[in-house]
Amino acid sequence: MAKRMALLVGTNKGVFLYASDENRKEWSLKGPFLPGWEVYSVLGDSRHGNRIFAGTSHAAYGATIRVSEDFGETWTQIEQGPSYPKETGFSLNRIWQLVPGHPSEPDTLFAGAEEAGLFVSRDRGTTWRELDGLTKHPTRPGWFPGAGGMCLHTILIDPRNARRMWVAMSAVGVFRTEDGGETWTPRNQGLARVPTGQPQEEVGFCVHKMVLDPFNPDTLYMQEHGGVFKSTDGGDSWFTIEDGVTLRDGDAPFGFPIVVSPGGDLFLLPLESSEQRSVSGGKLLVYGMYKGENRWSPVGDAAPDEPHHVSVLRDAMAVDAFDPYGLYFGTTSGELFCSLDRGRTWERLPGQLSRILCVKPWIVED
Amino acid sequence: MQLEVSVPLLISDCTRGRTRFPLEAGTLAEALRLLVETYPLLRVHLYNEQGNVREHVLLYYNDDNIAWLDDLDIPIQPGDKLRVLQAVSGG
Repeated sequence: MAKRMALLVGTNKGVFLYASDENRKEWSLKGPFLPGWEVYSVLGDSRHGNRIFAGTSHAAYGATIRVSEDFGETWTQIEQGPSYPKETGFSLNRIWQLVPGHPSEPDTLFAGAEEAGLFVSRDRGTTWRELDGLTKHPTRPGWFPGAGGMCLHTILIDPRNARRMWVAMSAVGVFRTEDGGETWTPRNQGLARVPTGQPQEEVGFCVHKMVLDPFNPDTLYMQEHGGVFKSTDGGDSWFTIEDGVTLRDGDAPFGFPIVVSPGGDLFLLPLESSEQRSVSGGKLLVYGMYKGENRWSPVGDAAPDEPHHVSVLRDAMAVDAFDPYGLYFGTTSGELFCSLDRGRTWERLPGQLSRILCVKPWIVED
Repeated sequence: MQLEVSVPLLISDCTRGRTRFPLEAGTLAEALRLLVETYPLLRVHLYNEQGNVREHVLLYYNDDNIAWLDDLDIPIQPGDKLRVLQAVSGG
């Protein structure tokens, strides 16, 4: 059965689809689909036919999930999508994350929202309900937003146990559940704390992105506002892994995305600082820590011939599951880059898009 | 009585792809209720979780913003219009 790549790119002006074959040398661009909508999250889902889910939002018209069954040509808004009951006082402003459920739950999808909350669908995306054990946590009055809003941007599921999950929220922190999302426990010990001005010690951590080790689900990696961290005990405790990636003496490495390849290679794209929020020196320098290494190093400059004073957002970097794997990132200026050699050399994909919010590879089988 | 409803193109996927369409209603209040009952996907885009018109959405009855009308039990007249607009404040 032939496989092909559909690289889904969410921007603040719609979603685009880059198509290629398994070699990923030649790309064609389709879109914009859903023009005018912010697409903070997108998911290609092949579990029941080929469907694309998009988390669409707009400053005036709020947030919904839309689904396409024809590779983006037409879309249907989900009628019973995520929503907060009136009595909570919460607003659904954006859908920051869409992920499939555990392989043992093929009809399940999860959605991470702003204001921060977690929603689940058990019927292939038709109806959704909030897993409100999270927003009913006693720390909720102490949750405050980061600059991007108070968003639940990361949802990870333990491959050994469908009921064990982690979520990360900015600027709240990491929470873990052992019962499928009914109850949650903060897991932030050892993280750098950013000032949110609230007194609760358990929360107030500005996690930017978090990934699960592909070989050991007790190991997690995180790009945080205040540094790069690792946990080897399922998030119970965290420690820094910053050797080689400190850009300025005395400053913790700042950036948004962190990704891990199927073989365990880690990648970051650090920014100059929290204040500047742009790549250092105009260089799109990707840092890697290959499997077995314990130190970061700059592995490749994606655009060595011209300066790029841009940023890369937390969900705008991704790895596909082909062998060799493809590594991708999109910039806030709408350029998309691809590497097929572990981040060492890069090709720019055709087109100049709007601000790239998310990049999600999707392998489609024909 | 029939009035003409218009909605922005961006949310016309909630109204079967139409930006202008007729709606039968006796009063403005009934028209507002029937609009989201007939096109339920529209509700989330017009109203927030508290049931209020969204901050950057304007609902105009002819030349009046309904937010400033004292009474919505206004009988519909021939030629009346109900317009959904994006406020300039919404970007």
